[in-house]
Amino acid sequence: MRRFEEYNPVSVALYFASVTGIAMFCLNPILLVLSLLGSLSLFFLRNGRREGRSHLAYLGLFLVLSLVNPLVSHNGVTVLFVINDSPITAEALAYGVAAAGMVISVLYWFRSFTQIMTAERLLYLFGKLSPRLALVLSMGLRYVTLFQAQARRVRQTQTALGLYKEDNILDHMRGSLRVWSVMVTWALENGIVTADSMAARGYGIGKRSHFSRFTFGRGDWILLVITAFLFMMTCVSAGMGALDVMFYPSVRMAPRTPVAWVGYASYGILVLLPIMMEGVVKIKWKSFVSKI
Amino acid sequence: MEILRVEDLSFTYPERESPTVREVSLSVQEGDFVLLCGATGSGKSTLLRLLKRELSPIGRKSGTVYYRGTLLEQLEQSVSACSVGFVAQNPEQQIVTDRVWHELAFGLENMNLPQSVIARRVAEMASYFGIEHWYDKQVSELSGGQKQLLNLASVMVMGPDLLILDEPTAQLDPIAASDFIATLKKLNRDLSLTVILVEHRLEELIPICDRLLVMDGGRLVHDGTPRDMVSTWKGGEPLWGSMPAAARIYRALSGEGDCPLGVREGRRWMERTFENRVRRLPRAPYTPAAAPALEFRQVFMRYQRDLPDVLRGMDLCIFENEIFCLLGGNGSGKTTVLGVAAGYLKHYRGDVKIFGKKLGEYKNQSLYRECISLLPQDVQTVFLRNTVREELADSGLGEGEFPFDLSALVEAHPYDLSGGEQQLLALAKVLATRPRLLLMDEPTKGLDAEKKKRMAEILRDLKAKGITVLIVTHDVEFAAECADRCALFFRGQVVSHGIPSEFFSENHFYTTATSRMTKGYFDGAVTVEDAVALCRANERREGGTVC
Repeated sequence: MRRFEEYNPVSVALYFASVTGIAMFCLNPILLVLSLLGSLSLFFLRNGRREGRSHLAYLGLFLVLSLVNPLVSHNGVTVLFVINDSPITAEALAYGVAAAGMVISVLYWFRSFTQIMTAERLLYLFGKLSPRLALVLSMGLRYVTLFQAQARRVRQTQTALGLYKEDNILDHMRGSLRVWSVMVTWALENGIVTADSMAARGYGIGKRSHFSRFTFGRGDWILLVITAFLFMMTCVSAGMGALDVMFYPSVRMAPRTPVAWVGYASYGILVLLPIMMEGVVKIKWKSFVSKI
Repeated sequence: MEILRVEDLSFTYPERESPTVREVSLSVQEGDFVLLCGATGSGKSTLLRLLKRELSPIGRKSGTVYYRGTLLEQLEQSVSACSVGFVAQNPEQQIVTDRVWHELAFGLENMNLPQSVIARRVAEMASYFGIEHWYDKQVSELSGGQKQLLNLASVMVMGPDLLILDEPTAQLDPIAASDFIATLKKLNRDLSLTVILVEHRLEELIPICDRLLVMDGGRLVHDGTPRDMVSTWKGGEPLWGSMPAAARIYRALSGEGDCPLGVREGRRWMERTFENRVRRLPRAPYTPAAAPALEFRQVFMRYQRDLPDVLRGMDLCIFENEIFCLLGGNGSGKTTVLGVAAGYLKHYRGDVKIFGKKLGEYKNQSLYRECISLLPQDVQTVFLRNTVREELADSGLGEGEFPFDLSALVEAHPYDLSGGEQQLLALAKVLATRPRLLLMDEPTKGLDAEKKKRMAEILRDLKAKGITVLIVTHDVEFAAECADRCALFFRGQVVSHGIPSEFFSENHFYTTATSRMTKGYFDGAVTVEDAVALCRANERREGGTVC
């Protein structure tokens, strides 16, 4: 077993699609609690105390989202109190909390996703779709940095040559416009060298293959199959209506039949997969270290 | 075995009347290390491109090129792409992708090879070139030398038998250039790889090449071993200036016997041929003007709060009306010194004074009005217009006021000029702001010997007009030739300074080839002219020319 992020990007991407897919379309409180638990613990496991401040912003967002719904929606039978002749109901509040929980958990899944899916992994995914697209993206990434560096150098040179004559914004904007226009010429001119270098190495003589450093091994298959299976089980359970929730007029959840339990258990395992994997790898590592 | 045969090759560009390459015939054997040299515009780059089918320029062509007995045009596409490798001058723009590993794989991907084959070939090349520890990196993080090595490796990964290189070290600093040349020699020796190379920096290449081709006006005027070039030199005087110091001294003294090519051979030949009773040339003492033009006092600078210092307590004083060369290794922060002096990089501690006034007291861009100007390393950053004429008009120069003759070029786009012409145009534009202090970053990068000489003359003219010049450079030969004072910059500080004849003769490695050759035999000889004068002042040994 490897660390979660070391699996083939295809398996990892499919995993994220499955967990967020379910979280986005269900407002079932149990599923949401599981999703929140999973996304938060994965993020904390990977980052520890770093990014500490950012959590406050997410907490703020959670509170705002939870409170907006009861202020605008007055459905529901349980009136908590009345503001300006508008009743604030427990059901609307519950719906708000559930929706906010959904948004926050999906956001945290995405935070982990963007950390794990580096440019190289995304490129590999696109390369699976089309080798040419992958090359274009890779060249684009290269050109952006090249362009930025050159633009900075031109700005510095032109500063020392007195292009920006006065210390005012208008003059700066005029100067920047000139720099931008010359950068377009520069990009076209120097693109020729790149084109030569590509032609010299046989670009365009026929079909291209795509090289990547990822392999698709047994472990990647296993992760893929387990993810797909758990996702299907949850979907089947949801499809049979076992995970349904009604917020209005009063909060009512579907009865906890065995089918519902299968759904909850499948999603619970799915959500905790990466954390379990990290845990196992850590324990294994400890035992390896003890042998060194 | 013959790998390449060129028969009667001529080539004319579409809008030119006279051919750029004229009736060139040559044959290259497998495993040859061939050096092709010639002045700028002699047609050597065009000849190289004619040897690589994918890069052949469009125009009128006559004559034939055979690769291993097959006409170049009749080679299979994949054979042509793989068997003949090409590396060009600019390390930056040849790179196609954003990651080192992807760049290595690029050519093999084009050949539609399977993953497993690419993985093996890339791994093999990465370990041969010592790329393993930067294999994962983004291309933009690499140094210039690493980039050019990556270009070489990503061509070598395709398994060529013939490698063609067009001034591959022109944009590199001397250390990176030596590494690159050593790698080429290693490839040539280990794999019997045939190398055809165009280069301006010949000091190191002449001793290791098997064959020297010299082009002049599109014709091949010399084809033979480097050792016999002296007696039959047809390349003209300007080009001779780029030959190794030992050979130039030998020829200036009309030496006999085998021509020395490297420092070691030159030293032996000199000791055998000349006595050293007179060890030192009389020199007029140098006294700088009293008023400082640029002063650094305990200057500290770093790019970001959590990065290390680039300048750490730097002290420097440059007096009015002198030419000052600041030398130092790559990445030592030399360019940062210029940035701080020009005011676009900010130091966080210490004082920088320009003509006695602190940088901060130059308000509202007045620093850039008739005071200070900077010629950057990449002179393309100077140009903002579509023609040379607009460019010059923009900087406020009338037709007759150019500091040098650019009238033949006024209609051209600045990017279409040759490296040397771009340098002159940029310098004209920089001088148009009438600076009293001129800062120059690597003004000799990519220039041939003749253009360097021209640059040295221009600097002396500027000095005569009362302009102070600070040059940051790797080029020790150039500094020895034109500087009033030199300084060595190391780890954010100036560690030593002095007049060139003392400065360079005290250095052991960071010094000119002449100085390395004459060290301990003569004192203070740093340029070829010094060594020749000293040899002339001494007597020839009896029978000293017998080898």
